[in-house]
Amino acid sequence: MTPERWQQVEAVLQEALDRPPLERASFLDHACAGDQELKEEASSLIAAYDEAGAFIEQPAMAQDAHVLLGVDSDANRGRQIGPYRIIDRLGAGGMAEVYLAQDTRLNRLVALKLLPAYFASDDARLRRFQSEARAASALNHPNILTIHEVGESDGEYFIATEFIDGQTIRELIKTQALSIEDVLDSVEQVASALAVAHAAGIVHRDIKPENIMRRPDGLVKILDFGIAKLSESAEDLKAGFRTQTEMGLVMGTVNYMSPEQARGLVVDERTDIWSLGVVLYEMVAGRLPFSGDTRADTIVAILDREPAPLAEAPLQSIVNKCLSKEVSGRYSTANELLADLKRAREQLNNVDAQSNNREHHPSRFVWPMIGVLVLLVAAVVGAFVYNRSPGTSAPPEATAAPAKLYAQMSERERLDFVAAQEQRISAMMGDRPVKLNDDAVRTIKTYVDRYASRIDGPPGSDEGSTKAIYERAQPYVPLIARSFAARKVPIIIGIYLPAIESAYQPCAESDLGAKGLFQLMPQTARNYGVARGDMCNEEKMTPAAAHFVADHMAELGEDAESITLVLVSYNRGAQSVRDILRQLRGTENYERNFWTLLANREKLDEAFRRETAGYVPSFFAAAIIGENPETFGLNTPPLSSLAAD
Amino acid sequence: MKTLAADNLTGLLVEWRDGDKAALDRLMPLVYDELRRIAHRYVQHERDGHTLQTSALVNEAYLRFAGQRKVDWQNRAHFFAVTAQVMRHILIDYARRRRYAKHGGEVRQVPIEDAAEMSLQRAGELIALEEALDELAKLDARKSQVVELRYFGGLSLEETAEVLEISLMTVRRDWRAAKAWLYRRIKHDS
Repeated sequence: MTPERWQQVEAVLQEALDRPPLERASFLDHACAGDQELKEEASSLIAAYDEAGAFIEQPAMAQDAHVLLGVDSDANRGRQIGPYRIIDRLGAGGMAEVYLAQDTRLNRLVALKLLPAYFASDDARLRRFQSEARAASALNHPNILTIHEVGESDGEYFIATEFIDGQTIRELIKTQALSIEDVLDSVEQVASALAVAHAAGIVHRDIKPENIMRRPDGLVKILDFGIAKLSESAEDLKAGFRTQTEMGLVMGTVNYMSPEQARGLVVDERTDIWSLGVVLYEMVAGRLPFSGDTRADTIVAILDREPAPLAEAPLQSIVNKCLSKEVSGRYSTANELLADLKRAREQLNNVDAQSNNREHHPSRFVWPMIGVLVLLVAAVVGAFVYNRSPGTSAPPEATAAPAKLYAQMSERERLDFVAAQEQRISAMMGDRPVKLNDDAVRTIKTYVDRYASRIDGPPGSDEGSTKAIYERAQPYVPLIARSFAARKVPIIIGIYLPAIESAYQPCAESDLGAKGLFQLMPQTARNYGVARGDMCNEEKMTPAAAHFVADHMAELGEDAESITLVLVSYNRGAQSVRDILRQLRGTENYERNFWTLLANREKLDEAFRRETAGYVPSFFAAAIIGENPETFGLNTPPLSSLAAD
Repeated sequence: MKTLAADNLTGLLVEWRDGDKAALDRLMPLVYDELRRIAHRYVQHERDGHTLQTSALVNEAYLRFAGQRKVDWQNRAHFFAVTAQVMRHILIDYARRRRYAKHGGEVRQVPIEDAAEMSLQRAGELIALEEALDELAKLDARKSQVVELRYFGGLSLEETAEVLEISLMTVRRDWRAAKAWLYRRIKHDS
């Protein structure tokens, strides 16, 4: 059958199926007049449809879940592949499964890397697998994993390598604090291996903690020349470029990528220098030099941002030189890096030798300590301000009967009211007073108007009304105030975030899966100790949300001179706040607050204009109404007055 | 230093999404682990006497996969599509191995004591479905995609519509026509 003919058959089939079964035969007679074959086709499909019943209605998972669990773990144990007998699964490395196996000829243990059968039919993958083998087996260095054999057995491709009974650097930094001495020793071994590989024209391209193993005796091995390319042929380079961009974007991590890799440019051995610089930084600092909430954020950091300085000065200059955005600014060979590492080790040893005289060598912990102190002082002062703010006791403006209802105000009066109230809410948030421009006031007013227009909601559906939101809010306020105050976060933030996030429905769920009063994603909730099943439980979610906001405040640190930016980060993540600030730096009247962002929204991305631009104004609108209920004809008290002292 | 503008980023994401085969290959091992986790949950609940919607589990897997507060819809759709493809690859591969082992293959012998063994009948069903689906794809690619997403990906009609960016109505019609066609094709063969 041709696709065209099928279209014809299908049209008849669909129309027939739309009719009651008894009418179908006569419909076919009519619709297929003169085309007996068409009629037979359609009739047999209708018969098949009637007969098919439950056929493929249950997803495959319902029948085959146990098969999936059996694949590779049990199914491969004991299998014989060429001369190798599989003993156990060690893990999955990017494109292949890795097993512990016994070489039955030599009676030694090997690591056996198997290309899964469902990939074996794939030429591109096969080529990469073989190129790994080709590249790495050409190398002979104590710090590079030795390849015993590359082979194929009945259509199954494998690589047998020496088996290292050790831990990856990733596992090591996760489980223990490494001494600087250990770090430098490991990184030196990697650098010396890279020097040999580079001299042979081989670039690793994927240096990361997962690909470096350390044996208990301290010997380090580089694994997985999985995407290594012989950089001699131009053809290979071109192919390498393609592979790199595709893989880089999809692989587990982009954190160790060099800028040229991230941009999909041709890379040379200096990409390995960069990646090793990232590993060095991470091992020393315990955190990544470049990271972000999303892969895209991380790439932006790699391309544009300078990492926070390290406490160890001698290492700082090495890291700087490894992490030069410009390729030409980096060490040109791994040997140069190796020499500097050795020099740094000597310097640090000397420092240690003199370290009895501590006054002249402030410990690496002094600066962080001062930072903590400053934060503590700020927090105490902040808490004082919040407690003294009109938030906890009923503000005088609000207890007095309002001079005029919002509904009765003129446009001008409304604008003035919104402007004055914005200042008051800002003060309750502990924010620096900023006089808003007309555009900003108008934006807030748009939201105030919108909420005010549905104080009672549309007839018959009072659940979504503004009035209902504030009524629902009341019982939650004491808990929210307690939780947020405990985290030194202005309680006003905790009180009005749920108003705009979930309309104070404790079990609200967005179609993306965000859930609860504060609409956290399950992953976020879990990170803050709330199980998925507890996301409707406000007793658990509220402290988690307070913690989450507090972390954003701490994370943004000096980047957020204004608490409004913390609101933005609640909506978009801290990384995008930094990105946006960086993008706007240098614009006219630049200030670190949301209002600058709003004024420059045309320069920002669509997601900002569509969502975030309205997010903070709607927060203010919710707070303005909630703190001035009488002005809006509401019977509820100002919500902040419900916070227990 | 060159600034990576927002539209560049979008470009990168699109590239990933539209990713040709190599990109998909890199996703597969990651998704594969997720699928095993889903299978594990599924079997566990089955034992407890609960039935679970595969679709809910795949959704959960995506959230874990994305791990972000606000996620991009397009990527979610992409994730679903890849999950279905990986599931199909794994099962069909296993079915082929199973049949091969039975027919005297030397290497791919599945141990007899293996509790996870797929019945020979099931292996035959899957291979027949695979062949029929390939044939259907030549005739009507979208219908074969609908079946892949629903049957191997465990997606609901609504989610399938979302992934393929077609209406719910169209998915329903595609599904019933594909089901009729596949059933007839497979029955005819056996």
